[in-house]
Amino acid sequence: MPESILPLAAVLTSAVAVVLIVASYRRPNIREGWSVLAALTQFGIVLSMLPGVLDGTVYEWSLQRSLGVEFLAGIDFVLRADLLGLLFALLASFLWIFTSFYATGYMRGLDEHDQTRFFAAFAASLSSAVGIAFAGNLVTIFVFYELLSLVTYPLVAHDGDREARIAGRKYIAYTFFGGGVILLAGTVMVYWLTSQTGTATTAFESGGIGALAEGAATDPTAAQITFYLLITGFAVKAAVMPLHSWLADAMVAPTPVSGLLHAVAVVKSGAFGIARVILEVYGPETIRDLPLSVPGIGEVGLNVPLAILAAFTLTTASIIALRKDHLKRRLAYSTTAQLSYIVLGLSMLHPYAILGALFHIPAHAFAKLTLFFCAGSIHVETHTDYINDMAGIGKRMPLTMSAFTVGAAGMAGMPLIAGFVSKFYMLLGAGYVGGEYWLFAAALLLSGVLNIAYFWPVVYTAFFESEDRHDAKPLLEFPAGGIRQFAGDELATDGGKRDEETELNSDDDSGAGVDSEADYEYAVDRYPSDADVPGGPGGSPAEGDANSSVKTGPETAGTGHDHGHAVAHDDQHHGGPPAGGWTRHSPLTESTWLMLGPIVVIATGAVVLGVIPGHAAFLDLATEIVTSVFDANSLEQLRGPLSAALEVSTQ
Amino acid sequence: MSNVDFLLPLLVAVPMLLSTVPIVLGLRFDRTGWSVAALTTTALVAATTALANAVYATGPVSHKLGGWNPAYGIELVLDEFSALIAVLVAVTAAGVLAYTRVGGPRGNTFYSGYLLLTGGLLGISVTGDVFNLFVFLEIVGLATYAMIASGDGPESAVAALKYLILGTVGASMYLIGVGLIFMATGTLNMGVLAEVLPAAVERDPTLVRAGFAFIFVGFSMKVAQWPLHTWQPDAYQHAPDGVTPVIAAVVSTAYAYAFGRLLYSVFGPEFLTSTPYLTELVVTVGCVSVVAGSVLAVIQTDVKRMFAFSSVSQFGLIVAAYGLVTESAFVGATIHLVGHAVIKAGLFAAAGVIAISYDARTVDEYAGLADEHPLVAGMMALLLISLIGIPPSAGFVGKWYIALGAVEAQLWPVAIVVLFSTLMTLAYSARLLEKMYFTPATPLEAPHAPESVATDGGEDGGDTETAAGADAANDGAAGTRGGTETAALDAITANGDRNTVSYGMLALVVAAALLAISLGFAGGFLAGLLDPSFITEVFN
Amino acid sequence: MIELELEILASHYAYSLLFVLLGIGLYMMIANENLVKKLIGVNLFQSAIFLFFIAMAYVDGRAPIIEGKSHSVGEIASPLPQVIVLTAIVVGIALTAVGLALIIRIYAEYGTLREDTLREVRADE
Repeated sequence: MPESILPLAAVLTSAVAVVLIVASYRRPNIREGWSVLAALTQFGIVLSMLPGVLDGTVYEWSLQRSLGVEFLAGIDFVLRADLLGLLFALLASFLWIFTSFYATGYMRGLDEHDQTRFFAAFAASLSSAVGIAFAGNLVTIFVFYELLSLVTYPLVAHDGDREARIAGRKYIAYTFFGGGVILLAGTVMVYWLTSQTGTATTAFESGGIGALAEGAATDPTAAQITFYLLITGFAVKAAVMPLHSWLADAMVAPTPVSGLLHAVAVVKSGAFGIARVILEVYGPETIRDLPLSVPGIGEVGLNVPLAILAAFTLTTASIIALRKDHLKRRLAYSTTAQLSYIVLGLSMLHPYAILGALFHIPAHAFAKLTLFFCAGSIHVETHTDYINDMAGIGKRMPLTMSAFTVGAAGMAGMPLIAGFVSKFYMLLGAGYVGGEYWLFAAALLLSGVLNIAYFWPVVYTAFFESEDRHDAKPLLEFPAGGIRQFAGDELATDGGKRDEETELNSDDDSGAGVDSEADYEYAVDRYPSDADVPGGPGGSPAEGDANSSVKTGPETAGTGHDHGHAVAHDDQHHGGPPAGGWTRHSPLTESTWLMLGPIVVIATGAVVLGVIPGHAAFLDLATEIVTSVFDANSLEQLRGPLSAALEVSTQ
Repeated sequence: MSNVDFLLPLLVAVPMLLSTVPIVLGLRFDRTGWSVAALTTTALVAATTALANAVYATGPVSHKLGGWNPAYGIELVLDEFSALIAVLVAVTAAGVLAYTRVGGPRGNTFYSGYLLLTGGLLGISVTGDVFNLFVFLEIVGLATYAMIASGDGPESAVAALKYLILGTVGASMYLIGVGLIFMATGTLNMGVLAEVLPAAVERDPTLVRAGFAFIFVGFSMKVAQWPLHTWQPDAYQHAPDGVTPVIAAVVSTAYAYAFGRLLYSVFGPEFLTSTPYLTELVVTVGCVSVVAGSVLAVIQTDVKRMFAFSSVSQFGLIVAAYGLVTESAFVGATIHLVGHAVIKAGLFAAAGVIAISYDARTVDEYAGLADEHPLVAGMMALLLISLIGIPPSAGFVGKWYIALGAVEAQLWPVAIVVLFSTLMTLAYSARLLEKMYFTPATPLEAPHAPESVATDGGEDGGDTETAAGADAANDGAAGTRGGTETAALDAITANGDRNTVSYGMLALVVAAALLAISLGFAGGFLAGLLDPSFITEVFN
Repeated sequence: MIELELEILASHYAYSLLFVLLGIGLYMMIANENLVKKLIGVNLFQSAIFLFFIAMAYVDGRAPIIEGKSHSVGEIASPLPQVIVLTAIVVGIALTAVGLALIIRIYAEYGTLREDTLREVRADE
């Protein structure tokens, strides 16, 4: 294991960039230059490790060995670039390059305030994300996990208005609950469990920590609790239900943040953490050896409750996404669903499912980042946030909407796009295991259908409808039985918000669209006929949950409706087609190339991953990870049921 | 290496003797206090560092006062545990002077009190005698009461009196405990007590247990554990801004250290674990304080008061860790003592800077601070982050060991409280962070600020008249009062950017913040200081 | 049992009385609204403790004047409690002085010594 400064260098690159960005706050061009430069350097460093890592080298940097500083008694601060870490670091640093261009275009296009803070926090987030990727033990990953929560908070609360602050509060409460409380508890427990049987350790080992397996054998209950503590700690960031609701609220952040952080770096760090726990802390074998005995059912694998939760999340989140009219929120719920693919794949424990899950990390990242970039681009150019206002927008932004279509197809798992490959392997894994696991396969397939159901309307609206005449959106957006045009009296019974007749429509719009709290007015208010969506507040139980938790938060109650605020906000959210309809633009002039460029590149990336996955590094990495975890020579050895796959490892 | 032990009595004697110098010189010169204090504390830093080096190199250093037999004479001891606290006290005392030079109370008598306090605190850290400890507790108490009372306005006198009464009762409770222990054993020396106590427990367990009970109640009061914490918020809030950092950072810390010293060096782990309900009681008091302190901190509007309740909660964590009686928990408590002291010193100093320059004392008034004072706001944010325990920071290291100790002791409820304390600390810290960074300074608040200033200013005028003649210490206070008053007046006209903030103040805040972060990497180092020698001695 | 208690009372009556004094001091400190009386309560409380030490050190023997030669245990009273009490009295006086100084200041500011009035005055501000 060579001593190498490279992992540290990768982490520090963006940390240094933070300082430089803050220092050059007076010169925006130089400031963004640092961003791009740091992104390129970081990617370069990570890439330079790729050949070595694929050959089996592990680059490791340890605080104790290099500086002689002991981080905590018996615990070293280790950064090591192994296969799994490189997968995540490569992804994050690669996507950061394009995001930093895009963010420049986005922030300037909107003339946002506090751009220095934004770019600094963004670079710091990347530093933490790469730190998570390269963390060599649970304590180190915890350090970066907490730092990531911390530095992304300014990005979520960036707008500084009430909505953003509440979202920020919720974000920080959820993430610190997951990290500072649950994950720390799990880490301490691992340290304690391993100290029971030998030297206390939290260092990752491919296939599971040996001492932990011994500790688990002596105290299975504690080991099971520890497993769920660790998983829950990471699941908060991976937005697994019921800990998902921060993600949709965090969409108040500027779109580059929603894109890179809340679809890639932050949420994937949760999924990545789960991967570390399942593959390198416990290991599939230990997890299999620790069955829960559920009264009435008998012994159930430790992984099964997690898999059930993930399957539930991916189905439910897809259904909720159907009802969201706000594009970014729809994407957020789609993210929630897609992350659960990863969690589901990992928790099925079968090598093929794990392979699919690992490959889904980059696959989803590329596709979802495309989608978010498109949403942001639309926001910057036309100030449109609601799908209802997007009728015919394909004329205005042909290239963007084409990229959106590609991304959406990837989400749905269409062949030739990245999402297909990962889903294929996951289905394969479920099939090999057989038995009840067919249920999970069914959930995957159902979710694919739902994906089409909620993305197709966007594409359809954009390309096949015109702004003056467009149909009601299919499926759940409208109640079964058609549209009720005369909202007045009938609504009183279910809506109940009748104190102000004139605002009735707007209230109900927001209820169906985003949030039943009518704290701010949306652009749709100006076009009530466009969005006449009568539906009671709170479309689904989960949504109701989210709303009520927002309401009960401190300082939210009683402050009431801030009118000056709402007016200012209205301006920002002014959207929909201009008076004369969308003007037709060529793909070359629809937006600034600072934004179009990244969109095109990332969308292309999604296609490349789908068409030639074998040549794009990520699949190789994922395959290597799986074979090393199961100690096999090749993937072919691992075909067949799970027990057979685990047998391979014992040979 | 016994040639450094002559420094031990000097640590206590020099500051106490020199504390008379500012008064004497004050007869001729107006402002010599600061220089005397600065020289003394610098020398103390050097002396404690030298002693600490000797301790960590060769083991504990001890000195018998007057050459008496320790069984009835007084012995001063510096070991691995107390060396850490002694260095902390000396460094903090020297550091906070950087603040008080321009910002704090300035009279010569103030610095007399300051040196007396420093001497007392060092006395607490080095004494090896339980009654001597009482004397130092009272010396520290006296100096603290006087320094709190030197604050602006009459409120500080009321707060000081409240503290005086409760503090005296606390110390007296401790004295009763000492008496009972003395009855049982016939000695006051900590080292000797540790040897003879087990036999005494066998002979008459009730006597020793009663003694412990009184000592515990006394220290719960001194360390401000719920429900005996009531003096603390008033005292911290009304103390002058230059005094709070010292009090918050080292006074409570020294008390908590003394409590830990008694628990582990005098009573010993065996007594703690073998006495029924003892650890449960200590742990419960600690845990309840953690929760109550955090909850009360969340509902405060005054920033200094909020930090005071935060201290209740953080010391609850330390007391709970003491009660766990495991090696990790003890290491955690020690590290948290040091870390919390650094963090709180920085936070109170930052609050003082903000109060001077921005005239903001309540959480709401902190809105938009980050734009006005990016440096102070940034450092305050760093310190708050350390307080929450986000790694790498001092707060995290302490919490890690305490949590580990709770898990090792398999006291799951304690582990849950310790872990959830992160979230509870977050609740009030995030409130402040959000105000500073994400809440624009709304014009609505502008009419409020000058109004409150006007009433304050009015009282201050009367205050100055009456107080100036009575106490020379108040002269200094009156001087600052005038300063803040004009600052406040400027605040009305020129949006509060009067430059009374010195580089010394900023340097203190910055140094505390950086130290809080860098201590986050010193977890292994600090544990290593205690671990092989001291811990083994105590726990085996 | 009663006999035993009586015996304890007979032989340790000083302690019982001292704890009564302790209680009176504590009660006075808590219940009395007058600040000066509160401080007197604190003083009573402390005095009780001093007496407790004195009572504890009492032996039927000589005063602790050691003249070079060694004495057996119990022959002379331990000198330590006396030393302790002397020191503690000094400390107590210093505390009382500081407390009274604070009370004078409070009286000068608010014109009252009663805590309830003080609370009202402060609440009005």
